Amino acid sequence: MIAFLRSVAQIVAQVLAELADQNAYQRHLAAHNTVHSPEEWRNFQDEHWAAKSRRGRCC
Amino acid sequence: MGRILGRVLWAAISLAAALSLGVVASNRGEPVNSTWLVVASVCTYLLGYRFYAGFVAARVMALDDRRATPAERLRDGHDFEPTNKWIVFGHHFAAIAGPGPLVGPTLAAQFGYLPGFLWIVIGAVLGGCVQDFVILFGSLRRDGKSLGQMAREEVGRIGGFTALVTVLLIMIILLAVIGLVVVNALKDSPWGTFTIAATMPIAVFMGLYLRYWRPGKVGEASLIGFVLIVAAVFGGQAVAQSAALAPWFTLSGKQLAACLIGYGFLASSLPVWLLLAPRDYLSTFVKLGVVILLAVGIVLLRPDLQLPPLTRFIDGTGPIFAGKIFPFCFITIACGAVSGFHSLISSGTTPKLLARERNARGVGYGSMLLESFVAVMALIAAASLHPSVYFAVNSPAGIVGAGPAAATATITGWGFPVTPQDMGTLAQDVGEKSLFNRTGGAPSLALGMAHIFVQSTGGQAFMGFWYHFAIMFEALFILTTLDAGTRVGRFMLQDLLGQVSPRLGRTGWMPGVLGTSAVIVLAWGYFLYQGVVDPLGGINSLWPLFGIANQLLAAVALCVGTTILVKMHGARYMWVTCVPLVWLVVVCFTAGWQKIFSPLPALGFLAQADALAAGAQTATTGALIFNARLDAAVTGIFLVLVATILIDSVRVWIGILGGSRTAKSTETPFVPTQLMEES
Repeated sequence: MIAFLRSVAQIVAQVLAELADQNAYQRHLAAHNTVHSPEEWRNFQDEHWAAKSRRGRCC
Repeated sequence: MGRILGRVLWAAISLAAALSLGVVASNRGEPVNSTWLVVASVCTYLLGYRFYAGFVAARVMALDDRRATPAERLRDGHDFEPTNKWIVFGHHFAAIAGPGPLVGPTLAAQFGYLPGFLWIVIGAVLGGCVQDFVILFGSLRRDGKSLGQMAREEVGRIGGFTALVTVLLIMIILLAVIGLVVVNALKDSPWGTFTIAATMPIAVFMGLYLRYWRPGKVGEASLIGFVLIVAAVFGGQAVAQSAALAPWFTLSGKQLAACLIGYGFLASSLPVWLLLAPRDYLSTFVKLGVVILLAVGIVLLRPDLQLPPLTRFIDGTGPIFAGKIFPFCFITIACGAVSGFHSLISSGTTPKLLARERNARGVGYGSMLLESFVAVMALIAAASLHPSVYFAVNSPAGIVGAGPAAATATITGWGFPVTPQDMGTLAQDVGEKSLFNRTGGAPSLALGMAHIFVQSTGGQAFMGFWYHFAIMFEALFILTTLDAGTRVGRFMLQDLLGQVSPRLGRTGWMPGVLGTSAVIVLAWGYFLYQGVVDPLGGINSLWPLFGIANQLLAAVALCVGTTILVKMHGARYMWVTCVPLVWLVVVCFTAGWQKIFSPLPALGFLAQADALAAGAQTATTGALIFNARLDAAVTGIFLVLVATILIDSVRVWIGILGGSRTAKSTETPFVPTQLMEES
């Protein structure tokens, strides 16, 4: 039961990380073979949101 | 043994679904408890997911986990990335959940809770979920292509262009109608207006925090943002009680519309990290949190439904919007059962993240089931209000009469007794001057939610807080849709204009950015203003227009889906998408025809224009006549656009089934997966 609850909590944490773009940022760092820095975050933000803000919004 | 247990379990679920649906549908004369609706919907969803979605996945789509998905084959660390199915589910649900499933069922409750409930559940299981699932599947087998690209490749160039124009037009109507919902919720409400106004500097603060002070700390910034907006809800009460500050935040509908138009222009033109991105994070987390809170509240409180199963307004004489139960119940519910907009998400980010084909069932079909359940909860929240309160809040002054005495007399005459004192006390409880004529659904939904939250937590003194918290929640993510939608509309317009002049298509050329932003904002701003000055409250005209447009976009998606199935199997399984398609076409074309040509001025746009022309002329009569004719023209354009793609699709199907056209598959060839572990 504890193992089940732990796995649920992990999934919830991962979903929140995905929604907060943390996973996308980690992928960005890996793809550019670099580490976190304020400048890198700003690069990611500009690149990521340039694409994201073009997508349709639901009603 | 396990197999027998499984059969017993599914038999029990089927029995529970049948029993609870029977109770919901047949109970007369005494209030039905909301638990029956929850049990009926959840059991039906489980059956739909297990058996119907299972059949579609296995037989119709033949989902194959041995086939590499676009996320694996085209993996680039950005858009294409194999991702855990639960994370994709959360991502997809957060993307498809908008204000529609909250507002639509609330408005459709004018017919009683029963028709809306049945359509939300049955429409989702047989229509909305199928649409989302089939489009996700189609995109998954075509390198994550968009609906427009699939329409062009599967149906033809006309279909592709029609889909693009339809989406742009629908976006404009959508932004206008959700803007109107916010305006009607905030007009003459200093508490609500202050709270929503405060979300803007809070978002800018979050943007600066994320950009310069603590780069990358989205969770931290969102938590601070959430604490600040809760403080703003409390602050709004102080503002409303302040003789000096309250007038600054007491705005009329026209003033609020002007503010929204200005905000939309700014949000579309400013750097995305400053306003749009932080609002999007905040709105997503608040949205998910409140949906969970509402579900917990309903399960804990199990409120009785005060609205009757059917009201007298099924005959088309309803005060909130005109039109009979068929087709307008289905048009009004919109996104809670079927949403054309979901096809844009199902052919957008989601297919680029799925690691396994079979995950498409849970993500595509399952997410829509959850969205449908959100619509059921909104319906429960609205139906747990006393009918007199529900109609007093949602009916425009043009129908029930201006002033509390006239409105309460009209509503009492409908068989829902209410007094000005009752409504005055309720308004006082929630910290408002008046709750009459607050059309749009948001205030009545907020009242229902506040009742549930207050009774679940036991603090009547917090009624005002919870009401404004609910208003804040609704407005926050409506405005997020508004600013992001304006930006998307701007990009679409730039794409179109870029064909004529490449400079206009460049997103870095500031005159082009400002010009196209202004065009999009003025387009939806015009319809918003039209709704604000409409004597019938605007929702009567705009929400059906939005509902028709949204359902027609679903028809476009189902045309594409049917074409894919016909190319795969011939006529054998085309009924899977054709049944909901035929239903939507019949509903939308009937509603569209009635909205244009009905001789009743309350229903038909042209009859409304004629009635205005024949009546007493005032300074605004000319504009109202023009608006009614414009609405008729827009409805007509929607119908013509969708008829075009429908005819084009039928031509393709007949060609394939008759053998005069080859069923050329556009699927990407099979590539075996290299992914080892279950994702």
